[in-house]
Amino acid sequence: MLLWTRRSRVLLWAVFAVLFTAIVLAPLLMIVLASVAGNWTGLLPGALTGSHFARALSGETFASLSVSIQTGVIASLVSVLLGTWAALASQSAPSKLRKAVDTLFHLPIAVPSVVLGLAMLVAFSRPPLAFNGTRWIVLLGHVMILLPFSYSTVSAAIARMDPLLAQAAASLGASPVRVLLRVRLPVLLPSISASASLALAMSMGELGATMMLYPPDWRTLPASIFALTDRGQVFLASASTVLLLAVTLAGVVILGLARGRAAQR
Amino acid sequence: MTGLALTAVAAPARRREKRPGHGWLLLPPVLVLLGFFGYPLVLVVLQSLESKTGEFGLSVWLDVLGSAEFRDAAWKTVALALGATAGCVVLGTFLALVIAFVPFPGARTLSRLVDTVLAFPSFLIALAFTFIYGSAGILGAGGFLYSPFGILLAEITFYTPFVMRPALAAFGQVSSAQMEVAASLGAKPGRVLRQVILPEALPSLASGACLTMLLAMNEFGIVLFLGAKDVTTLPMLVYGKGIVTFDFPQACVIAVVNVVFSLALYGTYRRLTKGGQRAAVDQA
Amino acid sequence: MTPAVEFRGVSVRFGRTTALSPLDLTVARGETLAMLGPSGSGKSTALKALAGFVVPSTGRVLLDGEDVTALPPHRRGLGVVVQSYALFPHMRVEANVAFGLKARKTPRAETARRVAEALELVGMGEYARRYPRELSGGQQQRVALARALAIRPRVLLLDEPLSALDAALREDMVAELLRLRAELPDTTLIYVTHDQGEALALADRIAVMRDSKLVELGPSRELYQRPSTEFTASFLGASNLIPVEVIQPDGTRVRLGDRELAADPSGTFRVGRPVALGVRPHRVGITAADAPGALPAVLRGVQWRGTGFRLDLDLDGNEIRAEVPDVEGLPSVGERVGVSIPDGCPLVGIG
Repeated sequence: MLLWTRRSRVLLWAVFAVLFTAIVLAPLLMIVLASVAGNWTGLLPGALTGSHFARALSGETFASLSVSIQTGVIASLVSVLLGTWAALASQSAPSKLRKAVDTLFHLPIAVPSVVLGLAMLVAFSRPPLAFNGTRWIVLLGHVMILLPFSYSTVSAAIARMDPLLAQAAASLGASPVRVLLRVRLPVLLPSISASASLALAMSMGELGATMMLYPPDWRTLPASIFALTDRGQVFLASASTVLLLAVTLAGVVILGLARGRAAQR
Repeated sequence: MTGLALTAVAAPARRREKRPGHGWLLLPPVLVLLGFFGYPLVLVVLQSLESKTGEFGLSVWLDVLGSAEFRDAAWKTVALALGATAGCVVLGTFLALVIAFVPFPGARTLSRLVDTVLAFPSFLIALAFTFIYGSAGILGAGGFLYSPFGILLAEITFYTPFVMRPALAAFGQVSSAQMEVAASLGAKPGRVLRQVILPEALPSLASGACLTMLLAMNEFGIVLFLGAKDVTTLPMLVYGKGIVTFDFPQACVIAVVNVVFSLALYGTYRRLTKGGQRAAVDQA
Repeated sequence: MTPAVEFRGVSVRFGRTTALSPLDLTVARGETLAMLGPSGSGKSTALKALAGFVVPSTGRVLLDGEDVTALPPHRRGLGVVVQSYALFPHMRVEANVAFGLKARKTPRAETARRVAEALELVGMGEYARRYPRELSGGQQQRVALARALAIRPRVLLLDEPLSALDAALREDMVAELLRLRAELPDTTLIYVTHDQGEALALADRIAVMRDSKLVELGPSRELYQRPSTEFTASFLGASNLIPVEVIQPDGTRVRLGDRELAADPSGTFRVGRPVALGVRPHRVGITAADAPGALPAVLRGVQWRGTGFRLDLDLDGNEIRAEVPDVEGLPSVGERVGVSIPDGCPLVGIG
């Protein structure tokens, strides 16, 4: 479409391959290789070992994984719940209010996660609500970070939804609650589950706010990975990263399956 | 990770229902947001105005803004963000151009791969880089990794997909008929690119660049993991003052500055995406 | 004389699909050739191969005797106008028209002159400073024409240029194109369309295409009056195809029902294979059911079309269509009528 001679195309593809490998493939490859490397002094790892994964799946690191999963699941559930609620409620609100709510719910995106962490630290280390030092502050931090994305994904889906569906249901005599439970939510289910996948992935990878907020007994996996790297244990850190990615992917796939079945209805 | 979601945020709503006001239903989520997000931020602003002796005033602000450490961090943050954005735009546009207009078998899978990569945490790149460029790494170049250029390269590597995604979407919209006719009129590929493709893709590229700038400016994971001694960005400074030295008033001042920059960029991004969509509608 | 355009065995295949079967075709300088056929017939593909947008799998494309098969589109010097106009939205009309000239590094003064000239030619001189989005469909198409003509191409390719316009506008544009053609006698025109009216109005010769193959090629009038294939008869002229029996082996006399008719054997057919008469709807006569010499038929439907009435009839198991100016005295739907077929209709082989 753009280049017409074979020679120019081949040349371009060569440059593309080099750049794409460097940008996308190489980092992934490095991490995966490092996660199974016994030692690595030359171009390629010296020996291959599964010991890093074994260690990653036990002790402290495994505890961090469990913390991350719990945080991810709870935080994404709460943020999806609040976001969907706000999106649905704002649809039926007067337009000025809706615009204000829209802006408000998008604001946390503009705040860096570290600053969000700092803010929560400052606010909740003192009465009336002092839960600094507990797991709840970490969960809350995650919820605040995820909320704008949950809201916005569902809000966009609501805007795309055919208004006639709800109106048809109402004209058949269904009460607003019934319309909500039987028509609106089922139609929105695919996008709600998509926003849940997104929220889960974001929570699993969250670092900025978490570093500001986590108490010793609630350390997430990314924070642990940092600690390992800081101590120089890079192979274990790589294995833990691969584990993090694998678990995140698994979670997203499971949610995708639920979405698939919902979409078939 | 934020970026993937941010690209999803950009879609504006097209149709809105008009129904009698049930505004009160909004109260619970809004209260949650105000209580756990608004209230803490207000406190940060207040804390930044509280001096060591407990007085209310701008003394901490003056201290921080005047300090070399802050000015250096602010400058480095902006410079890194600009540099990373420039690099991402060039690289991302090039890669997207090839996938969109000089397709090869498997191009579509590659662009899906790009989408997946968008979901990774940024520290992954930093970690990978230690294996490539670190002192014990393959291309071990000693100090390169821990210099600003190492961080720049890491940020470009991580954020390029964030430019590729809107670029691919924009290039997909350029009609192949236009490119064919342009070629038939005598335009060589370079001219078709400059005068037909890029002008039409410009709004999306601009908003993608703005987004990347926002994300790069607030980047924390990469800078933390690479732990370069002489590269401190604003987020790192907030972290350092908050967690390491417990100097909260100063941390709050820096946080407010960071948020102000961030809000300005985000506002620009929103205006660019809205404008971009409007332009697209006109051309229909 | 060297033909302006020549296809030598040009075929285009994408994987296992054949978009164009090997095509041999020449177009003389200054001639207008229409490539007519339904969608999927390969006509657009042939045009794309000529323009260089698609590389042929086999064969050669020649322009003025020169082999251009390996030449990229920007070196072929052709003008292209497409259905979607493909105007550059971010440029004004004058910049659009100047595009080709700028690409050839034409000096500024000359560019300005030729742009004005091209816009005048299509009647869009007043709109030079507008943007494409401010123009109507018909106006955009004229600008697209001006853009293609500004570079003074040796061959002008038009790919269904009027399909996106409404019927009245299409009529006007056909008249415009005829006028343009008269002003540019040396420009060869290749016109791709699925509309037989456009083809008949504009073309010197018509190439009828179907299923990626060339079915028939010949002067417009000849193809219309004496089609040699069943497809051409029905597609170009919307003829009814009424199976008949051959009485004389050379096909000049046939039997339909109990009537004997004189026929014009325009198609190729072999003795023993089924044949049909191509009868145009407006040549089908309607009479009373018991009129002498009438063929018995049943009236199935009547539609008023503004310019006349369209009748659907069942002639002894064959569904045929007739066009009549009015329906006074006609029995109602479901009743029997008489049908008369004139002498001299073309005879083609079917099946």
